[in-house]
Amino acid sequence: MVPGAVRPVDVADAAWGERQLLVQARQRRVRQLQLFAVWLGIIVLVAGVLVRFNLDVGFMTTWGWFILSRGVPTTLGVSLASITFATVLALIGSLMRISRSPILSGIASFYVSLFRGTPLLVQIYIIYIGLPQLGIVLPAIFAGVLALSLNYGAYMTEIFRAGIQSIGHGQREAALSLGMTPQQTFRRIIWPQAVRLIIPPIGNEFVAMLKDSSLVSVMGIWELTFTATKSGRPRFKNMEALLIAAAAYWVLTALFSTIQSLIESRLGKAHER
Amino acid sequence: MRRIIRGPLVVLAVVLVAALAATACQPRPAQPQAANDLLAEVLARGVLRVATDPNYPPQSYLDEATKQWTGFDIDVAREIARRLGVELEFVTPDWDLITAGNWADRWDLSIGSMTITPERAKGLHFTQPYYTTPAQVFVHASNTSYRSPADLSGKRIGVCGGCTYEEYLTKTLSIPGETINFVIDGADIRAYPTDLYAVEDLALGDGVRLDAVITALPTGLEAIEAGVPLKPLGDPIYFEYLAGAVDRNASKNPVPFVEKVSEIIKAMHADGTLKRLSEQYYGVDLAAAAAAFKPPPEGY
Repeated sequence: MVPGAVRPVDVADAAWGERQLLVQARQRRVRQLQLFAVWLGIIVLVAGVLVRFNLDVGFMTTWGWFILSRGVPTTLGVSLASITFATVLALIGSLMRISRSPILSGIASFYVSLFRGTPLLVQIYIIYIGLPQLGIVLPAIFAGVLALSLNYGAYMTEIFRAGIQSIGHGQREAALSLGMTPQQTFRRIIWPQAVRLIIPPIGNEFVAMLKDSSLVSVMGIWELTFTATKSGRPRFKNMEALLIAAAAYWVLTALFSTIQSLIESRLGKAHER
Repeated sequence: MRRIIRGPLVVLAVVLVAALAATACQPRPAQPQAANDLLAEVLARGVLRVATDPNYPPQSYLDEATKQWTGFDIDVAREIARRLGVELEFVTPDWDLITAGNWADRWDLSIGSMTITPERAKGLHFTQPYYTTPAQVFVHASNTSYRSPADLSGKRIGVCGGCTYEEYLTKTLSIPGETINFVIDGADIRAYPTDLYAVEDLALGDGVRLDAVITALPTGLEAIEAGVPLKPLGDPIYFEYLAGAVDRNASKNPVPFVEKVSEIIKAMHADGTLKRLSEQYYGVDLAAAAAAFKPPPEGY
């Protein structure tokens, strides 16, 4: 073999590979278009059926803005406040949970078990109409945020715990052997790596919370579900009003799911191959 | 892991406990020494908090055009606040939370067309009634087999749970100043969170989910006007006296407040305000009988 000569088989392989990549990219685009077309078809079909069955479009235009403008800010506000408190609770809860102290770990696991094992609606009622019997009277909005925070804090405690424990023992041992104190090890080595794993699920929890926040409507808080039911029911236009609320939840969750996946891919950048 | 986190953990645990303690203590309203009755508190606050439910046209609903509170109850509440000389604020808890009493001082007064019953009077003080409402049986518009409410014995009848209509069917209802004939025997009672659910289920068709509904005559007529296929069956089965209500277990003594609101309502009967509002919203004077209502000697 002559030195420096290019072997034909290698050239063929590379070109073939590049062609393959292009073909795959085109196939993905076609598939996305197909999916989009199916979605569009379903939406048009459902809308057509609803309009045919006397969906009152006039009601939707009259009440749509009221339902959204009064409902969405409260829904978002309650969810944002609750996810913030839930994150703090989850941080505290997860640290207690992985502690060797049986008291701290016991308290945390009891909290997680209790709040994951009871329905959110029951928790809301206990806080809003149960606690006053013990002399603790919370305003509706405060009770709602507290219930959502405690409930989601319990779920997120487990997410945080899993994230922290997933960092390999070698990381901690290496940090300690470099002379870091245990606190430094946690703050500088374990926590920054754990955060990358923890943040994307927080986004998921927030999207779930947007929907669960509808439960606080039972306390007379004027969020999306409340404004929709109270505009629709007295006029016997439930479907119209609830469709507006459902569409708003859908758009909000789609929006925040997109934001969440952007954050996820950004945090994952350093780990891409 | 133990040595890594124990230090911060103790601090965090203390913070958590402190935070819980803070939330437990914070909401208790500060207790000024001066006023220990509800009337004085409302006047000092300058705001009357009235519970109502925007589900009940023409009593209480949001106006189509302005999206503002409107209705008979709403105007009565506004007039009471005006005559007390305070601002008005509406809160919107579920109806069964209002009738149950134990409001935990979250609102001061219910102006929600609430029927006076001895059962409710255990938890609530009632004001002078501001109008009456006929309780009416409705059936589906297409029904031809029922001639009077008595024909509904053993049928599926929708009512709001905890309402007087349910008590009528269980034959436990008693209304001061009213003799009630229980003409429906052994009804299959279907209780709903509010009347409107029952009306909607009856609207699905004759006998689909319900055979009849009992609700206030104005509520049913309003539904019919909105295009719901119902019709009234026979005459009203009884009349209810509808009054403002105040929590007996309010942390401040509620009696002077109840007396003051009763006094205002009597004045509104005397000067024709309630007659005018009733005619405006219902087309008839439903207030007259309520003006003559005499509470029992022990009071409500």
